[in-house]
Amino acid sequence: MKLQPDLKMTGLEDLEESRKNRPSLASVVIHLILIILASAVILPLILPFLFAFKTPLEFAYHPWNLPQQFRLENFQIAWEAVKLGQGMFNTFIVCLGAILTTVPPAAMAGYIFSRYRTKVTNVLFYVVMAGFFVPAQMVLIPLYKLDLKLQLINTLPGLFLAIATFGIPFWTMIYRSFFSTLPAELMEAAKIDGAGHWMIFFRIMLPLTKSASILAVLLTFMGAWSDFMLSLILLNSQNLFTLQLRVSQFMGQMGANYFPQYAAGVIISAAPTIILYIIFRKKIIEGTTLAGALKG
Amino acid sequence: MATAQNTMKKSFDWSELIFKIVLLLPAFLILGIFMFYPIVETFRISLMRASGLGEEVFIGFYNYIKLFSNEEFLAGLLHVFQWAFWSVVIQIPLAFFIAFTCTNYKTRLIKGLRGVYYLSNVLPSAITAMLGLFIFQPNSGVIVTLAKTLGWGWLERIDFLGDPKLAFWSVFALATWAYIGFGIIYFMANIEQIPAELREAAVIDGANKWQYARYIVVPQISYALRIQAILCTVGSLKLFDLPWMVTTGGPGTSTVTLGITLYREGFLNWQYGKAAAIGVIIFLLSLAFTIVQFSLQRESQN
Repeated sequence: MKLQPDLKMTGLEDLEESRKNRPSLASVVIHLILIILASAVILPLILPFLFAFKTPLEFAYHPWNLPQQFRLENFQIAWEAVKLGQGMFNTFIVCLGAILTTVPPAAMAGYIFSRYRTKVTNVLFYVVMAGFFVPAQMVLIPLYKLDLKLQLINTLPGLFLAIATFGIPFWTMIYRSFFSTLPAELMEAAKIDGAGHWMIFFRIMLPLTKSASILAVLLTFMGAWSDFMLSLILLNSQNLFTLQLRVSQFMGQMGANYFPQYAAGVIISAAPTIILYIIFRKKIIEGTTLAGALKG
Repeated sequence: MATAQNTMKKSFDWSELIFKIVLLLPAFLILGIFMFYPIVETFRISLMRASGLGEEVFIGFYNYIKLFSNEEFLAGLLHVFQWAFWSVVIQIPLAFFIAFTCTNYKTRLIKGLRGVYYLSNVLPSAITAMLGLFIFQPNSGVIVTLAKTLGWGWLERIDFLGDPKLAFWSVFALATWAYIGFGIIYFMANIEQIPAELREAAVIDGANKWQYARYIVVPQISYALRIQAILCTVGSLKLFDLPWMVTTGGPGTSTVTLGITLYREGFLNWQYGKAAAIGVIIFLLSLAFTIVQFSLQRESQN
């Protein structure tokens, strides 16, 4: 307690104060570097706006001028060239399916691993945890053959179940530690009141997981939305292609000569993720640091 | 009442067992079918001569032996280590610099910038690849367009994706742009957990920011730095999306990764056995790195 007033007397406060009033050279340089680095992050996302509204002629002669008119033709062409609308619809189904097959199973398993700790459940938990460290690349061949055998190849469930299997271990661990933070008295009290296992789980425990579940739904959505490799392997008919598969076809479809359309395509395909990030920035960063802390 | 409860405790609680089984079943059903069975299968197939249609023939470790004379596989393996080395040397110091300055210069401007650095990390890899082509394309990419406008012939002639010497670095730069955000927020979270007294003590001792970074912050988060180094290494093992979409591994084998070799062998040449063997190698290498990680973890807990 004594430390606080002493610290003030050493001039720490004054130091902070003077820094605010007269920025040192180092501080200016660092601000400058940080701004440059931040613009390096944003610039590739802003540049397309310079080109996307231009006709090929306008682009050829004045590539760096601001667009004269807000022509939307390029967006229309890009949208139709690889059928982005259909891609978004497919991706949306995959996301929904991945959420439904990842979050509830993980929540239920996490609950058992947290509240019913026995030798058997502990072993089972380690088995699930091992799944967290399996790289998806390792199982691509059998996964493909399996989907073929189960007639799930080239279907959206075949894809989202594969995505779910790589998400379940992580979220089971998260739910397990989340349930462990809930007070044990809660369960005891309910038991005394005569509530059974089912009642305690569905009526008491599950409603308390709201914050963890929002995180799980959001990040599972983002993961399924972004998937490329599994979609590439498990889907092969055009009309089932997800947004990311269609995006990856852009260059081949449109060729390098249609740069303004390509720029429009970049804007359309990046926009949903960026909007999602702007809205849920805090949650997304929280979830990612959680994953980092767990890995670490 | 009490005796009734006692007898209940003694007799086996079937309702509890059923409850446990029902709640564990969905997770284990999905994991069992789509992960554990495929893992076992990978090991089995890697010992077979297996292609899309023909019969499987047991050939022992022939697939593995064969791989080590496969130029593309060797290039992929080399790139894993090159990629890991350069990500550790370039991405970690850069991420640390941004994380440290953002947590130590708390002006309004910098607080606003913090969210920006992670933005590129949430973009799906297909979009990142598309942006990469948008910038590096030899005919009408951003750089070439800029070079034409400025009349810089030398810049116009640089083929960022077509030159075997440059392609690796172009993809690497793109990946750095895309992935560095994770390191930044991970380091920031760790730096913010450093006790305030340590910082105050450093200020009292007259340490400047750089001495503070060097002698307090780096040792305090050394664990996070090492973990990040391992995540970079494991990440380079799994690399597929970006190099595949931007350069398809080319030109030649200059940007080939293990993931690309696996995909080519398995899904373009239909050599299941060989592809499974590559899968096993990716797994074993990532297992080795994970073990290193856990031993670091134990060390830091002691």
